[in-house]
Amino acid sequence: MKVREPFFWVTISSGAVIMLFILVPLVEMLTAPSLTQIMETIGDKHVVRSIRLSITTALSAAAISFVFGTPLAYVLARTDFRGKRLVESIVDLPIVIPHPVIGIAILSVAGKNHWLGMILADLGIRVMGSVTGIVIVLTFVGIPFYVNAVKAGFENIPSRLEHVSRSLGASMFSTFFRITFPLARRSVLIGFVMCTARAISEFGAVVVVAYHPMIAPVLIYERFEAYGLKYSQPVAVWLISVCLILFLTLRILTMKSEKSP
Amino acid sequence: MRKTVLTIWICAVFAVASIGLLPAASWAEPKGTVIMFHAGSLSIPFEAMEKAFKERYPKIEILREAAGSQACARKVIDLKKPCDIIASADYVVIDKLLIPSHADWNIRFASNQLVLCYTDKSRHADRVNEQNWYEILQEKDVVWGHSDPNLDPCGYRSLMALQLAEKHYGIPGFYEAVIANRPQENIRPKSVELVSLLQTGNMDYAWEYRSVAVQHGLRYITLPVEINLSDYAFDDFYSQAVVSVTGETPGSFMDIRGQSCTYGLTLIKDAQNEEAAIAFLDYILDPEGGLKVLDEMGQPPFIPCRVPTAEMKAKIPVVLQDKVEVRD
Repeated sequence: MKVREPFFWVTISSGAVIMLFILVPLVEMLTAPSLTQIMETIGDKHVVRSIRLSITTALSAAAISFVFGTPLAYVLARTDFRGKRLVESIVDLPIVIPHPVIGIAILSVAGKNHWLGMILADLGIRVMGSVTGIVIVLTFVGIPFYVNAVKAGFENIPSRLEHVSRSLGASMFSTFFRITFPLARRSVLIGFVMCTARAISEFGAVVVVAYHPMIAPVLIYERFEAYGLKYSQPVAVWLISVCLILFLTLRILTMKSEKSP
Repeated sequence: MRKTVLTIWICAVFAVASIGLLPAASWAEPKGTVIMFHAGSLSIPFEAMEKAFKERYPKIEILREAAGSQACARKVIDLKKPCDIIASADYVVIDKLLIPSHADWNIRFASNQLVLCYTDKSRHADRVNEQNWYEILQEKDVVWGHSDPNLDPCGYRSLMALQLAEKHYGIPGFYEAVIANRPQENIRPKSVELVSLLQTGNMDYAWEYRSVAVQHGLRYITLPVEINLSDYAFDDFYSQAVVSVTGETPGSFMDIRGQSCTYGLTLIKDAQNEEAAIAFLDYILDPEGGLKVLDEMGQPPFIPCRVPTAEMKAKIPVVLQDKVEVRD
């Protein structure tokens, strides 16, 4: 038998520690409620509504990130300009700002004390306590993950493929949509998943902007405060399960598209 | 002769010095951390008390966590978070949730009252007053809110004030009409969170305790004593207001009757640092200490503080007993 070096055992044991660190609390939480509690909880229309709202708002945030983030990611991957570092740091800002601060920041431009809030009020758009507000917050926290993932994807596509396309007479638009984007499809999907995942887990910023209507993490918090652990855990179990199914499906879809071409 | 005088002199000096040293040696200064969970509306006075207390006891570290009063109790009961002191915006929360399992006594230490807060940017800020506030709250373009009655005593008290307004002003149907003009989105978990909504112009009017309004420099309307839940002499009138809040399990409800805003304070039974916690409680209950701070911040204290029965007084740590009186 091959003699393992100590280094091998260091890597194995630290890996095991991390696995336990992540899994032990989660398994404990998933197994704490009884099956009847879990089944009762999904019969509760507030729970179903909040989970549905969580998923739709998170997907909307990812869709907005897709529309606005893809061109930005492309520019950042392909060009070099003065202040590029600055733009990249600005994109990363939402990752480092404490979540409640994000909520407060958004509320402060959405109120009547700010010109932007005045314009929104005139247009009849309400941010505080609305689905619009939730989507704005989730996009704010999710977009860095999308842009960074897609930027890395674009960087990995050799620009000579684009040059060939351009030299054969294709416009920049058609080069992007027929060459670059299809090749970057996988990173776009990864960015989309990352952004959705980040958005679905957000609590701190959302609860500042919108307590009602309740997304699932806010409902879990409300259930905990009002009724205790026993009634908040089953909701958490459902949220985690639904998310796992969602992300597994996306994973499988990516793997398929990986093989097909 | 001179030698004797000298010896006596030296002995006397030593004796005096040792008397001076004796208490210092036998009296070990309390130290360590004291964990306190308190109502959001107590954040600012307790911050000031913590500062003043630390000057007397530099070795004690006070860790404070603000949450809805009910949530404070939950942290101890369900999450088993270590905690020494709980201060609740409604003393009933301590009676209902913590005694007898997690606490033995409940000191009423301060009162408060409900006010309607606004800023100079609020809609109709130029004309709102004691006589017309209830009409303004019914106007379609006015955004007003209160905290969640299921999580925060200030929330159900706000609703009670509105019910009492219906009775006091004699306007049948007022309560339902005014609530219909308050979409659910205007409810927040804690009343203090409404302050930032007012300040950022997302909300025009919010129900708060007077102390919160004073501490945050908000403009507010003082309401008649029959409505503002400030005076326990009016408890009979207040008890006409009934608010249904969520009960023990989702879908179940219980009724809470109107009562004056009275703050409760207790020591958790298995406190992790009882000695230091009692030192802090001693400071809080001191008319020249914590109670003075409360008074300065718009939260009238009870001097002395109160417990309902002599049996309960007997359960309070001995050093604190002379700071409370038995009064129902």
